[in-house]
Amino acid sequence: MTLVSFPPSPARHFAVVVQVNYLSLSVVDLVAAVPLEKKKRLSLELMRISVMSQLQRSFSMEFPSLVSLKLPSPMETHLWYIRPDEVKSPSLLKHYSQLLSPSEKDQVSQLRGDALKKNALLARTLVRTTIARYQTNNAVDPRSLMFKKNTYGKPEVDWQNYKNYNNPPLHFNISHTDSLIACGVTVHVPVGIDVEDKERKIKHDVLAFAERFYSADEVQFLSTIPDPEVQRKEFIKLWTLKEAYVKALGKGFSAAPFNTFTIQSKAGTKGEYNLCKTSEMTTSSLEKTNNCNGGWKFSLLELADSHYAAICIEDDQASSGGAPMRVIVRKTIPFVEDELISESKLLKVV
Amino acid sequence: MASIAASSSTSLQARPRQLVIAANQVRCFSYGRRSHLSFNLRQLPTRLSVSCAAKPETVDKVCAVVRKQLSLKEADEITAATKFAALGADSLDTVEIVMGLEEEFGIEMAEEKAQSIATVEQAAELIEELLLEKA
Repeated sequence: MTLVSFPPSPARHFAVVVQVNYLSLSVVDLVAAVPLEKKKRLSLELMRISVMSQLQRSFSMEFPSLVSLKLPSPMETHLWYIRPDEVKSPSLLKHYSQLLSPSEKDQVSQLRGDALKKNALLARTLVRTTIARYQTNNAVDPRSLMFKKNTYGKPEVDWQNYKNYNNPPLHFNISHTDSLIACGVTVHVPVGIDVEDKERKIKHDVLAFAERFYSADEVQFLSTIPDPEVQRKEFIKLWTLKEAYVKALGKGFSAAPFNTFTIQSKAGTKGEYNLCKTSEMTTSSLEKTNNCNGGWKFSLLELADSHYAAICIEDDQASSGGAPMRVIVRKTIPFVEDELISESKLLKVV
Repeated sequence: MASIAASSSTSLQARPRQLVIAANQVRCFSYGRRSHLSFNLRQLPTRLSVSCAAKPETVDKVCAVVRKQLSLKEADEITAATKFAALGADSLDTVEIVMGLEEEFGIEMAEEKAQSIATVEQAAELIEELLLEKA
């Protein structure tokens, strides 16, 4: 005797599932010969399919549902990125645009030119789909996510619609350039990221720029670099690190003007950096050490051979024990594919 | 008639286009022998934007600096109300625009203020404020 065969056609299947939901197992009960365990398994399977089909009904049937993700561990950052030039399909872009809120669509439309509009669309899509995928207990529709800004304007997830779910304390931050959009995700600790094109040309003299905005120690560091190309690259790396810090801090630029802190690479490490607060009065080296006492972890990576990406997270030194930040990098095209970027490919910048 | 132009532009940071003024518009009018307070919350036609208090020459110079920094084409329209972000400027561009403006006008902008300017108008008004202080 056969029960409902899997997978049945959508229309019939839907009707069957409704019956199972309301009449609880009566369909399965009809088949008396089936052992209890199998009945339970089958009913669970039917429930699962009903949820999936209802989700699929709300998305286009063409696109698979989002694959869920395991949360980052503490002191670990997940870095996701999209290359806009790899996303060309008009139907995929249309699917993405259906995920955005009305105010997001509004903001996209205010931008000048198709390239800017597309990038903004991809940025919102990346944020919504990535966060939705981390909700492992209950499937979350990326369209239903709401966002708010903290007192200083830093965007964060607004969980008001999901009060009954066990929401993981996710933090995120995005950064975009013309050719790459990135989103960093952590649990428990605030995160800030900044990406820049390695080849980005600064219109002003690099040292003049640094003297105006960076700290004295950073100007000193840059001025010792003889090759102007290397100097420009170091300038950009510093920019991404400083931006990442201010964004992680989340209190706006006035809370941490660029010339009030120095970021320098940690001696004897690869890609690790220290943050030191600058002060007019730091004369003794003891004072200097006290101004550099952690609180924040940095990591600087080269992405896709073309960009510098800086990540800054708040450091809970008690649990991390001073270990370097772990970063898992994945390139993605939402609903299509993820690609894990192996550590060997990611040149940790020295 | 209540004078819109008389209200200080620096209090209108948010620049809503449709609705003009709230607190500033308390005026005492004398029509003949009667005087009354008038709270004038007039709905202006939406196309009419609050006039920028900065001089046109300042606005033009700001536009020129922004064009240069963002490498805009001749065809790209840029007016007082244009937002830098709408033109694709990121934070590094904004800081470079500030440097360009400081050079052009011989002023220095405090970093917090520099990071907060989002439109040509805001930049022009801040510049004029600083020029006044300098004088």
